[in-house]
Amino acid sequence: MSISRRNFVKSAAIAMATAAAAGSVASMTGCAPKVNEPINGDSVKKTLAVCRFCGCGCGVIVETLRGKVVSVYGDPENDSNRGLNCVKGYYLSKILYAEDRLTKPLIREDNSLKGTDEGFREATWTEALDLVASKLRETWKADKSRLAYWGSGQQPILEGYATSKFWKAGLRSNNIDPNARLCMASAVVGFMNVFQTDEPAGCYADIDHADVFITWGANMAEAHPMLYSRVMTRKISNPKVKHYDVSTLGTRTGATADKVILFGNNGDLAITNCIANYLIKNKTYDKRFVEAHLQFKKGTENIGNADNDGYDKSEIGQKVDATESITFEEYAKRLEPYTWEYASKISGTPVEDIKELYELFANPDIKILSFWTMGVNQHNRGTWMNHNLHNIHLLSGHYCKPGDTGFSLTGQPSACGTAREVGTFCHRLPADLVVANPQHRRYTEAVWNLPENYLEDIATPGFHTTKMFRELSNGNIDFLWSANNNWAQSMSNLTRFLGRGAEDKRGIFDAFIVVSEVYPTISTKYANVVLPSAMWIEREGAFGNGERRTAVFEKAVDPPGDAMWDMWQLMEVAKRVLQDEKIGQEDAFDLLFGQWYDKDAADFKQESQREVCKSMWEEYRTFSNPDLNPRAAAINSDKDEKFGAKLKMEAKQLAPYEEYIYQHGMTWPVREIDGKWYPTKWRFAYGDQKEGYDQIGIEKYGDKGLAGDASFYKSADHKPSVVFRPWEPPAEVPDDEYPFVFCTGRLLEHWHTGTMTRRVPALDNALPEALLDMNPLDMEALGIKDGDRVKLVSRWGEVEITASSAGRTQPPQKYLFAPFFAEETLINLVQQEMYCPLSKEPDYKKTCVRVEKLQG
Amino acid sequence: MSAGKVIAGLAAVLVAAEGAFAVAANGSSKLLRPPGIQGEADFMARCIKCGKCIEACPYASLHAAGPAEGAAAGTPCIDAREQACRLCKDFPCVAACPTGALRDVAERSDPKAGYARIDEEVCIAYQGYRCEVCYRICPLIDQAITLDFQAMENDDIHTKFIPTINKDVCTGCGLCVERCAVDEPYVPIRIVTRAEQERDGGR
Repeated sequence: MSISRRNFVKSAAIAMATAAAAGSVASMTGCAPKVNEPINGDSVKKTLAVCRFCGCGCGVIVETLRGKVVSVYGDPENDSNRGLNCVKGYYLSKILYAEDRLTKPLIREDNSLKGTDEGFREATWTEALDLVASKLRETWKADKSRLAYWGSGQQPILEGYATSKFWKAGLRSNNIDPNARLCMASAVVGFMNVFQTDEPAGCYADIDHADVFITWGANMAEAHPMLYSRVMTRKISNPKVKHYDVSTLGTRTGATADKVILFGNNGDLAITNCIANYLIKNKTYDKRFVEAHLQFKKGTENIGNADNDGYDKSEIGQKVDATESITFEEYAKRLEPYTWEYASKISGTPVEDIKELYELFANPDIKILSFWTMGVNQHNRGTWMNHNLHNIHLLSGHYCKPGDTGFSLTGQPSACGTAREVGTFCHRLPADLVVANPQHRRYTEAVWNLPENYLEDIATPGFHTTKMFRELSNGNIDFLWSANNNWAQSMSNLTRFLGRGAEDKRGIFDAFIVVSEVYPTISTKYANVVLPSAMWIEREGAFGNGERRTAVFEKAVDPPGDAMWDMWQLMEVAKRVLQDEKIGQEDAFDLLFGQWYDKDAADFKQESQREVCKSMWEEYRTFSNPDLNPRAAAINSDKDEKFGAKLKMEAKQLAPYEEYIYQHGMTWPVREIDGKWYPTKWRFAYGDQKEGYDQIGIEKYGDKGLAGDASFYKSADHKPSVVFRPWEPPAEVPDDEYPFVFCTGRLLEHWHTGTMTRRVPALDNALPEALLDMNPLDMEALGIKDGDRVKLVSRWGEVEITASSAGRTQPPQKYLFAPFFAEETLINLVQQEMYCPLSKEPDYKKTCVRVEKLQG
Repeated sequence: MSAGKVIAGLAAVLVAAEGAFAVAANGSSKLLRPPGIQGEADFMARCIKCGKCIEACPYASLHAAGPAEGAAAGTPCIDAREQACRLCKDFPCVAACPTGALRDVAERSDPKAGYARIDEEVCIAYQGYRCEVCYRICPLIDQAITLDFQAMENDDIHTKFIPTINKDVCTGCGLCVERCAVDEPYVPIRIVTRAEQERDGGR
């Protein structure tokens, strides 16, 4: 009898669980792949991996037989998910094997067919790489403001690291940005402004301790399925635990919450300021915490919207980041207008609901865990809203304690690990460093062994994502390379960016576009060269998830056909572009990458991908272990007092590569005690390092014995900044012509633009179509029935879609929702391109539209 | 293979055998019918196999039963896994029925063509996977299918999100069967049709 897949998975899971109980999984999945009992004469190989999809970052075990993945199941020893997955994870093995995998480089022969799958021919790697490199070099030599790289929060850590190094040190260009700009940028700017260090202080285990959950603009039930399972565990374990869902529409998260609090009109800004106002007015804030830990500021206000391509350089656009210190009393004064009534009038939320939220924060005896994600980040005041959530948690002292903190949820599997930690943004360098800071540039030069001042050229940030695509459409970008993303579906205002709008915005057809991909996507239709890539576990890599957990995925199988590791693609392009270039007296390529790549052999110097990654990791982790490099260490400690400040790079300390395999991932900062490496679960919270507290960080840089046993040692003067951020209206306000507010987002069955999950028949069958969720009363008023085709029309474009009142989301009247996974229903044709002026993250949640019923 | 598997496999065989027996013994099939069915016997007595309901269905969910169905051959039925009933607001199939074999439905919650039943052995939600496709796709979400949250054995941080059928509310439209994300070794959700309910005394 042949063993069915499910039985196989189940028996394998039992075997793993048994092994886990015996404490031997780490050894089973260590450096060398281990083999199991033979099945039908062949051996099953088990390797360690991380799910390819969302920011939860669930660990998985992959089993391969005869070079093919036969099963994937939850890794019981990965502390982020402890052995469970969602239905997408259940089908992970299938994403590799759809029939239309890209297996040969493709070169576009007929540019008039750009925008279609036609007009390509197959090519050899040499031919494709020569062409890509010659175009990049030509652009670079002519005008390096006209080249761009668009990366991803799905790019593995070291691929992002090498790409960033090539772009920033090799090409000395800051025109590199990731799709995390569309997702986490507002959270990043919020963290940097408030704490001067990125990423949440807490961890997923906070869920197990909370008394109250508040989800703000976060549909966790669908977008973070395994974390929501953990939230539900906490709830059913204690009936006193409550969940409030603060949202603009009913979701599956709201459906299981104890209370749904709806708001509109950017009312979240007013509600949070109202809570802060009464915390101070009623003296219910945490006085000890405020005095010990906080400083107060105000920032530039009335900042308008990025409604023109010159916004960033406009007078107001250049001032948006400015802040100045104010007193606590001045801060309180600024909050005074935010009365219950005013906040209620702005938001449409009943006063009692706002009071109920306030009462939670005013209560020092409960633990409040706020989660927020895209509803807060994809917001024309996304950075401000991140500030306001930190503000109410900090003022009330509900911060930095297990179960009692604010937690910004991440969207993508390595938005933290790659985009944020490696720094593949146009303004960043690795490990919280930024291009604009001279000390940061000196430190980076030290780690990269560059001559001092070599990076002076990149002191000014490059094009952020929307700017990049705006300039592409304006004809000001000649070369674009993208990988691990699908910009032609996920960018906002696709009408403009795909050249379907104004005549003078069709630069996409003239630029030379390179897409590294695994399947045909809309983006490959616009490519001049398509490079076939190794997918997920067809190469070794690592992701960093939403709780600062770095985890390695081992190579399990070979890529199909001629598909190649992106790292190899990068090396081959870099060696061609940098041919005969020098940095100081040294060959540029060899100085940057010679440690790992032999350009004459066209191959890596190390024996295996494991060894390549291990060696490159050692350089990368020098950023957070300055003692590994004396030149870097001197800058870190400001030995010569040139900079007037220490960098405290150890605040993000990373361990040697193999530790991440042995320990099935670890949350940084990772600390060594007596030769053993321990993760930090609760940053800035004092306690035993071995229990997950930030003992070593605080002892090195912070202060013991302060209120809440917290010490924010990375913040200026060790004091996070509470910045007053007022209410300002959405970029678009509904009117007679565009009376609906349209929101997009993810649903559980599909990952992002669906290029992987829609190729899994079971997932495609489970959710085959993107529907427009409408309120039944709006449908009745417009004579629209379930299943009717309608046209959504915005100021930006239009798209046809099928209307539904089925209730997947339940929008209130005049609100709409549709997911963005379906390429045949390209809802980003109607999405606005307006972004938060601080974070440059577009607002995908409130484009104003009208709904027209289509005849027939 | 575990003992549980063997039993589940045997059960599947038994169900199949039972079905064949039912046709032979009662002369009636256990077909899933369109909305508006008031009982299998009532339906069989009135249906003239005119095919008007099949023509009226905008989703092509209805087809005529094949010759293997004996007396029921030519009557309208639904293969839920293939294409389920979409519970149209205006029920064009019912409106088209000239004999009242399909009748008396006004709201989407009115039809009673059967109810869904989940096989706990095969459904992955019962193993703790966050799936619940059937729940989220249900046209009567939070009414016909609700979620029951159950603690997981040997796992103190996760909860099972168990889709739970409310037999009295479920219309038997079959959309959950069509969309179910599992099909190996078989689809773990099926519709217990009116014919089956009547035959089994409403079980």
